[in-house]
Amino acid sequence: MSNRVFYDVSSKSINKKNEELCGDKVEWTPIEDGVLVVLSDGLGSGVKANILATLTSKIIATMMKGGASLEDTVDTIVHTLPVCKVRGLAYSTFSVLKLRFDGLAQLIEFDCPGCIFVRDGMVMPIDYTEREIAGKTIRESTFQLQVNDLLCLTSDGVMFAGIGAVLNLGWNWESVCDFLAENYTDEETSARMSAALIGACQDLYMSEPGDDTTVAMVKVIPQQVVSMLSGPPKLREDDGRMVTEFMSEEGLKMVCGGSSGNLVARELGTEVTTDLFFDADGTLPAIGRIPGVDLTTEGVLTLRVANEIIRSYLADPTAEENLKRLDEKNGAGLIAKMLIENCTHLCMFIGKAINPAHQNPNLPVDLSIKLRLLDELAAMMRQAGKVVQIKYY
Amino acid sequence: MEIMVCVGSSCHLHNSREIIGRLKDLIAQNQLGELVELKGSFCMGHCADPGVCVRIGETVHAVTPENVEDFFQTQVIEAL
Repeated sequence: MSNRVFYDVSSKSINKKNEELCGDKVEWTPIEDGVLVVLSDGLGSGVKANILATLTSKIIATMMKGGASLEDTVDTIVHTLPVCKVRGLAYSTFSVLKLRFDGLAQLIEFDCPGCIFVRDGMVMPIDYTEREIAGKTIRESTFQLQVNDLLCLTSDGVMFAGIGAVLNLGWNWESVCDFLAENYTDEETSARMSAALIGACQDLYMSEPGDDTTVAMVKVIPQQVVSMLSGPPKLREDDGRMVTEFMSEEGLKMVCGGSSGNLVARELGTEVTTDLFFDADGTLPAIGRIPGVDLTTEGVLTLRVANEIIRSYLADPTAEENLKRLDEKNGAGLIAKMLIENCTHLCMFIGKAINPAHQNPNLPVDLSIKLRLLDELAAMMRQAGKVVQIKYY
Repeated sequence: MEIMVCVGSSCHLHNSREIIGRLKDLIAQNQLGELVELKGSFCMGHCADPGVCVRIGETVHAVTPENVEDFFQTQVIEAL
């Protein structure tokens, strides 16, 4: 899977001054073996534009995700968008990126600024072919991506930033290209580049944008698989099979659960050692070590806190207190950091055995909720755009 | 001698962290650092016992903050 890639996608918009709603809309969604990113800019501004852009991006994303052809999708948009009374037009521009995990990119554009493709600090030319669908001229291109490439879709508010104010004619496509090529290094994430470009537009508009201004940024990153094993299997005879399947995955490995740790160690013919004085001031259980496994922690108590850390991180990935919690040196912090920063694909190996001791009503904390915590974790990872696979035993 | 203290979920809630701290202090006070090794372990399967699961050799004890000194006296010092 070494030549497989993944996509770090982000987007950011600023609204035309005095508008509460944005007339641009970005939609991205996982598709079979890839990701689909759609940016749409609705005619006009405010509510009308917002509805047009939302309909357009949602229809494209939903239809193409379902396998509809480009022809059918464009035809549907042309025939369903409400017609603007003032202008007598039903109109919304769009750009679509269909990105496959083998690095193949398909770009489809209608009437919007061209996609900007940056590789190794240079803007790469894109060869388009044109065709007409339902009376609209569509530009298409297919090309191969590699790790650290950056793709940027924009609404025309980006190109016109500063028009009539700081600059006579505004920014143009070439200057936006230069900006990205100069500011993008391999270390930058997609979110940081979105913030940087929108920040520059905001400055050029002197914080009074003349148009809705939106970017969708895609950074190509390597796939990173994390396998997580938690809970012994329902049937004891499945122990060996579960551990064999868990260990045969590539990438990082984590075991969450004391009994699970013992089970994995036993099957691997080794032992779990625990670090009694790790996080000695904290309140979470100790972490363990198993040779061949990257992280071993206690189960339910640690997962509960790890979920908390991930939940608050996803609510605001750039807030400093959320980043700090990812760096916490305890089991929960280590789980959260690995899942957020070093994971694009999560394979969960979940055993459904019930631990009789955890049903003890005298314990101050309900220990029987581990399966629910794991479900919640899977849902959050999917929300974060990661691919999650679950196997139950 | 090896003292194995459980740090699994259940024992954690029974305050295994405090037991570890107390045992560490008792070992130091009695200058037994050369003779006694304190180790941790994940779940040893005695979660229903009324205390933190502590194993010496093949015997498993249920240790609480109340009986930890007594345990240390009878099971560690007197057994050495």
